[in-house]
Amino acid sequence: MAITSKKSARLDHSIFDADIHGQSMNIQYLGRIFSWVKSHRSLALTSIVLVLFASALTVLLPVIIARVVIDNVIMKNPAAELPDFGMNELTSWISEVTSIQPIIAACLLYGLFTVVCHVAYHFHRITFAKTVLYALRDMRKDLFAHMERRPSSFYDKVAVGRVMTRITNDVQALFELLMGLGMLIGEFVPFFIALFIMLAIDVELTLWLLLAIPIFAVVTYFFRQATRKVYRLIRNSVSQLNQNLQENLSGMQVVQLSNRQTRNLEVYNKENLDNRKHEINAIYLETGYGAFMDNIVNLALAVILWIGGGSFLQDAISLGSIILFTQFVDMFIRPIRVLGQQYNILFRAMASAERIFQALDWKEQIIEPKNPFVLPTRIQGKLEFRNLTFGYDPDHPVLTDVSVSIKPGEKLAIVGPTGSGKSTLIKLLGRFYDFPDGTIFLDDIDLNRINSSQVRRRIGVVLQDFHIFSGSILDNIILGNTHISRDQAIEAAKLVSADSFIEALPDKYDTLLVERGQNLSQGQRQLLAFARVLAADPEILILDEATASIDTETEQLIQKALQQIMQDRTSILIAHRLQTIQEADKILVLKDGEVKEFGTHQELLDLKGVYHTLNALQFQSITLKTD
Amino acid sequence: MKVLLRLLPYIKEHAWAFWGGLLGLAFARFFEAMIPWFIKMGVDNLTEARVGLAANQIDYESALSMLLYPAMGIVICVISQMTVTIISRILVRRIGMYAAYDLRNRIYSHLQLQGPVFFSHYSIGDLMARAINDISLVRQVIAGTSRMTIVLIFTAATGLTFMFMLSWKLALAVLIPMPFITIVAYFYSKQIYAQSHKVQEGFSGLSTFVQENLNGIRTVQAMAQEDEEINRFSSVNEEFADDNLALFTTSSLLGAIMPVLAATATIIIIAYGSYLVNTDDITLGTFAAFFSYLALLLWPVREAGSLVTQWQRGASGTARLFEILDYEPEIQEHVQQDFPNLTGHVSINHLYFQYENKNKYALEDINLEITPGETIAILGRVGSGKSTLLRLFVRLLDPTKGELLLDNHPINGFPLAYLREHVCLVLQDPFLFADSLGDNIAYDNPDRDISEIWQSADAAALRATIEDFPEGLETILGERGVNLSGGQKQRAALARGLIRMTPLLILDDCFSAVDTETEEHILSGLKSIRDGLTTMLVSHRVSTARHADRIVVLEEGRIIETGTHDELLLKGGFYADLEKAQSNTGRLQSQLGREQNKEVN
Repeated sequence: MAITSKKSARLDHSIFDADIHGQSMNIQYLGRIFSWVKSHRSLALTSIVLVLFASALTVLLPVIIARVVIDNVIMKNPAAELPDFGMNELTSWISEVTSIQPIIAACLLYGLFTVVCHVAYHFHRITFAKTVLYALRDMRKDLFAHMERRPSSFYDKVAVGRVMTRITNDVQALFELLMGLGMLIGEFVPFFIALFIMLAIDVELTLWLLLAIPIFAVVTYFFRQATRKVYRLIRNSVSQLNQNLQENLSGMQVVQLSNRQTRNLEVYNKENLDNRKHEINAIYLETGYGAFMDNIVNLALAVILWIGGGSFLQDAISLGSIILFTQFVDMFIRPIRVLGQQYNILFRAMASAERIFQALDWKEQIIEPKNPFVLPTRIQGKLEFRNLTFGYDPDHPVLTDVSVSIKPGEKLAIVGPTGSGKSTLIKLLGRFYDFPDGTIFLDDIDLNRINSSQVRRRIGVVLQDFHIFSGSILDNIILGNTHISRDQAIEAAKLVSADSFIEALPDKYDTLLVERGQNLSQGQRQLLAFARVLAADPEILILDEATASIDTETEQLIQKALQQIMQDRTSILIAHRLQTIQEADKILVLKDGEVKEFGTHQELLDLKGVYHTLNALQFQSITLKTD
Repeated sequence: MKVLLRLLPYIKEHAWAFWGGLLGLAFARFFEAMIPWFIKMGVDNLTEARVGLAANQIDYESALSMLLYPAMGIVICVISQMTVTIISRILVRRIGMYAAYDLRNRIYSHLQLQGPVFFSHYSIGDLMARAINDISLVRQVIAGTSRMTIVLIFTAATGLTFMFMLSWKLALAVLIPMPFITIVAYFYSKQIYAQSHKVQEGFSGLSTFVQENLNGIRTVQAMAQEDEEINRFSSVNEEFADDNLALFTTSSLLGAIMPVLAATATIIIIAYGSYLVNTDDITLGTFAAFFSYLALLLWPVREAGSLVTQWQRGASGTARLFEILDYEPEIQEHVQQDFPNLTGHVSINHLYFQYENKNKYALEDINLEITPGETIAILGRVGSGKSTLLRLFVRLLDPTKGELLLDNHPINGFPLAYLREHVCLVLQDPFLFADSLGDNIAYDNPDRDISEIWQSADAAALRATIEDFPEGLETILGERGVNLSGGQKQRAALARGLIRMTPLLILDDCFSAVDTETEEHILSGLKSIRDGLTTMLVSHRVSTARHADRIVVLEEGRIIETGTHDELLLKGGFYADLEKAQSNTGRLQSQLGREQNKEVN
């Protein structure tokens, strides 16, 4: 156990803060991404079959116009040696069976193919979107569940925002990547089918047209290289602008009271100018590239007319074939444009994939027992710390050889200066950290033999930084616990005298709170925290008394509520207020991680040690004031 | 929609570029429409040359030369269209960026004029959204939507003109399905907009959920609610995926219906066109060119619907933006030429203050006289009006009734900048900027001498903290730097106020996170450095108030007690009660700290 703890201390959490720029395609990452796709593989397969079918039909549509309508019907020159993929036969078969004119049959065929083709495309797109959306939904859930179970030692070191963007934005980047992949398939399949047909009709002309592809590819490559840089500059300058504005808004009163408006506007203007410069550079690049790609493709029409026309005059190809070539021009350039669009997404997505897998591979966790002891429905609440030594960094112990025991229902106050190890002691009791040296017994059972979630259900912790989730007051008391009914929650709020302020709110218990409860005062939040823990009805209560200044009246309400929630419960209090301390059964004085004194108020006073000095000081200051 | 007219000045400013750009784009459409014309010519020449060749009237060379003119025509059109498009598109798009730049500066400086009432109406998130999203919508309207509208109108117009020139019969026939296409496209684009809005909201809902959950991860784990939270996330996550799918289904449906509808026009060309070829009404070249002109016409017909939504979105973005820009700052300057120098003399006569939407006065009949050099402590419960009173001195608020005189001159007779330069209010919430510690202390004037910074850091008992950081005064604060504790922040904010040595200094409960001993140390130091200067301070603590020359107790917006510490204790009122209550719940924490210090010494 000692080894694992040392290992976890060596973990380098800074990788969560590092900026990752995707450098290249990583096949391994793609493979891992596809492991989420696997469970939806029949959807993916359907999608691919559909796209092949639909693409073939798309390519046949211009064939109907060129070979059937123009060559056969209008020019009366079927040019049988040129491929038509049976379209002429099909048309004449239709016109024979239904005895309609061939041109009408061709129209019917065209209409039918169009409808079938686009229905197939539609279902291809939907099945593809489903595959991707479901795969990434599963991935996102796995990622969230993984992060949800990382221990406190992880969240001590990693900024929450970094973890959050992995679950939200990074998965979204993969979504863009995979959807882009789908678009590429939808563009490349018809491209290759069209290429096949063109080669079958006129090899020379096709080769001439293929010359364009390397040109487009090179132009696209350089354009993407250039925009990558510019886009990064834009992103940076935009986030700078937003940060500036956000900060200025948050500190507006300070800004105004310090007469900084002009200066701040100057700074903002400079950033704004900087941004404008990059944006306009991007406009130059985008416009140049966009117009080039859009228009240059039409040069192919001149090539087709010139070279194809020559072949036609020599009877090598039909007139319909020339028109067919002009229809295929668009299919030539689109894959390259789409590929270009995917280029930047690919880099972003690879960086995102790296971040996601880094998080998923982060295995840091609390060691759970292999054969966990199952606690009875109600435990007594006896606690014993025996020779407990612990440090977040093994070289710097925060607690040294702490041994204390508390009888069921007793109230223990822990006092000591900041950094004396008070908070650490209660965190260990809540199984938030592994402790290799020493033991904690809960009803004489080694705490490490119980599942951490079991322990936490029995121990209610009221932390100093009480967190309010957005939702109703009631939601915040119940906190997702299905065992607590509405009535029980309200009862709990009444017992801690929180109901007086709750009843005064517009929607009472259903009043919505914003995150961190900015619409509640500090004292009210404290009362709500008490209600939450009382509703959960744990056998053991741990309370880190808030130090923030609260007006005297609320202070008294809190003291009263405290009595209420400690009743019949083993309680441990990190106390800052004299009143709280004096009412405890036992007092533990901690200093530099060591137990200095332990006993009742009277016993400790009689000791004439640290605690006595504290008390004397306190009384002295009161006499001074009443003078 | 009318609100869009307010963007006209931004276009007028670059009128030449704008109208020149649009004219260029119109020309580009013309070149574009000429390409099928040359294809028609090429096809017709080909058929003619073929007939000539077959009849041995011309040789191959001269037959091929008949293609030279149309092929060169295409090349010239392509190059002209490209050049003109690039130039004019850049001209127009730049205007959008200039407007965005201008609007950003405008909104930034406008926000800096606003007071607390404004900021209670508009949250920071809301203002940020307006400054980011709505400005980009405006940019889009000026440079994108208006350009696209003109382009599409020209495209449709040239396409139609050429069609009618070639064959009015076929052109009329092709027009039949167009209204249906427009209507269907409009209907779907509306739906797609609504759904993509929902998806965006779904994403921000998802982000909020994750952020909140992770911020409260300790609470979640402490209450062993991980599984419940994962389940809750799962349903948010699933809903997001389903909304996404709905959006994709709609847009895919549109993607499928549009080509099918367009195919009806193609079939009309095939059927009716080939009939016209047979009757020699049109040539084969015209027949082939019609497919290209159809493509030209279809594009605007399809996009018309989404253009309407784009204009609507642009209009609502513009409206949201101008709502802020039209908001009159609640504090108005009434600049008067002659005003006295501020010395810290204050007289308040029958002053009342009432917040908007409140039916009760926050301050009622306040009368107070403060002579220069005095230190006044203000005490009272939460909501008794302490902070409101203090905000009047820097005109973050203006009194509803009664007068507030500084050196016997009405407070709104001073220029705002002068007033705030000479009256310093240190707020309860110690907001620090993500900048260096030194820059934060010398925030009012970055050119201050370093010795001044240290002096005020000493006065605010901050020197040891600063010296603890390896970077000293250069230490960067905030997310990307060091996070100060609550007490350190308060002391840094205090140093930022003290450095200014204003004739009137106001401290709004800015010792709440500072331990008693440090507080007393700072306050006793304050007396000597601010000798002869007026200081007002608010506190919840009797231990703070004791240091003042006079104590003012506020209760429900009224002054209920005034006097020295001893006088008020003797009086046995609110102050005396408070003193008793606070001694009982006094803090052990600071005592422990003191005890520790003793041991160290």
